[in-house]
Amino acid sequence: MLDIDQYAYSNNLRSIHPVEKTIFALLTMIICLAANSIITSLAIILLMAGVVIFGAKIPRQFFIKLILIPISFLLISTITIVISISKEASSFLYYLSLWGWKIGIQMENIIFAINLFLKSLGTVSCLYFLALTTPMIEIISVLRKLKVPRIFIELMSLIYRFIFVLLDTANLIRTSQLSRLGYSNFKRSCQSLSKLISNLFIRAYYRAKGLLTTLLARGYEGEIRVLEPEYEFSKKNLAIIFLVEVSLILITVYIGGDQFVIINT
Amino acid sequence: MSSSILEAEDIIFSYPDGTKALDGLSISIEEGKKVAILGANGAGKSTLFLHFNGILQPDQGSIKFKGETVKYNKRALKELRKNVGIVFQDPDMQLFSSSVFQEISFGPLNLGLSEEEVRARVNEAMKVTGITELKDRPTHLLSYGQKKRISIADILAMKPQAIIFDEPTVWLDPRHSNEIIDFFDEINNQGITVILSTHDVNLAYSWADYVYIFAEGKIIGEGVPSDIFQDKELLMNADLTQPWIVEVYNELVQKNILASDFPIPDSKRELFSLL
Repeated sequence: MLDIDQYAYSNNLRSIHPVEKTIFALLTMIICLAANSIITSLAIILLMAGVVIFGAKIPRQFFIKLILIPISFLLISTITIVISISKEASSFLYYLSLWGWKIGIQMENIIFAINLFLKSLGTVSCLYFLALTTPMIEIISVLRKLKVPRIFIELMSLIYRFIFVLLDTANLIRTSQLSRLGYSNFKRSCQSLSKLISNLFIRAYYRAKGLLTTLLARGYEGEIRVLEPEYEFSKKNLAIIFLVEVSLILITVYIGGDQFVIINT
Repeated sequence: MSSSILEAEDIIFSYPDGTKALDGLSISIEEGKKVAILGANGAGKSTLFLHFNGILQPDQGSIKFKGETVKYNKRALKELRKNVGIVFQDPDMQLFSSSVFQEISFGPLNLGLSEEEVRARVNEAMKVTGITELKDRPTHLLSYGQKKRISIADILAMKPQAIIFDEPTVWLDPRHSNEIIDFFDEINNQGITVILSTHDVNLAYSWADYVYIFAEGKIIGEGVPSDIFQDKELLMNADLTQPWIVEVYNELVQKNILASDFPIPDSKRELFSLL
């Protein structure tokens, strides 16, 4: 998670307008969900992998490692779709018989499962694109532009900021415990960890109190108002996004079997 | 005639847990000066600073800004906080945003300034503190010294008349320490009253125009550095020591190397030129 955060600040697409990146990720995601086509899903996965690895210059191994995380979950859940139970033997490609019931796989389900698998992976890769190229601060500022209620925006930015402050504190406590053999055996480890957690709560409380003081000193009156650095929209980028999305739709219509979930159901 | 910018008159303040932090303290800080406040840990320096900014209200006594008693209604507090800024000791406590730009824009926005004005002030404060190149970096990936400079830019962008620095050189390496001290001189030349608290007697001796010694919630001594740092007993009572320049000077006088009517050198350079 911390690696993703670091890449978000140092990748090659950092200077691009966050709204452009969000539009790109969201539109692609919508097409991926709407298109009922294995080819479209594959195209989107390859597109996002390409943009992340060659555009944003994120190391290939890192991206592959990230993609592997959801794959294990997806495999487990698609297996349950592939296997079905029925009394009719005719529709099965392969089955086992148990007390007159047939447990096995059907062609229809395999296609459905592959479709679902790739569709999920495509959507996840859209999210990865956004997470790897756009820092959290900028995602929050996009949400602010979308008029998300102020309280959520304030909470999100404070939580994001203090994740790192608390992590630092936790690391300091852990180091000081380690230097006094706090984790030398299982029992000690449990004790030390519980002390660390309870201490962290207390410190978080004092941090919050201290923060209020420092905010008040700068004229805080119950509302955190801030300005963002200004970004310029690039017509070129918007045109590229438009072209990419249109071609994805065309791929779906002409090669991917012209199936849209929205239209078909 | 010089006039005082911040005054406290016989203030008494106890924290809710019963600790008496300030015990009949009176102080008057002159406008446009470089003031150092010295005292041991827990002597009440930070508590006094929070009074100067209206965060804490004295149980007894009063605080004055430019001769006028501070009132504790919303508008008066806003005016006070606009004019008196505090740079806190721990920048991690002060920085609430992960974005440097957002962070610095917070104070001036609270003053009700226009967006263009705030942008101009943020850019200027970043330039003056030398952090413009950090604009696009998240605060959690910055070093302590960089965060310290952001916390200073936070306050500079509000353009206060007096800035209080709570232990500004603690945890800074000598180079950054010196840089920050030069920076204090710079902003003082622009007419800003600079008040800092420190344990560093050497720093206070060479830098300050005027020094206050704090102990147990009271001012136990004040004066120009060359006088105040000759009073060994006073320093001992405040858990402080003599600056090394003063010690060397006294030793030289005692051994008749220097004439006793010779003025005390107020910096390392001056001392070395004597030898």
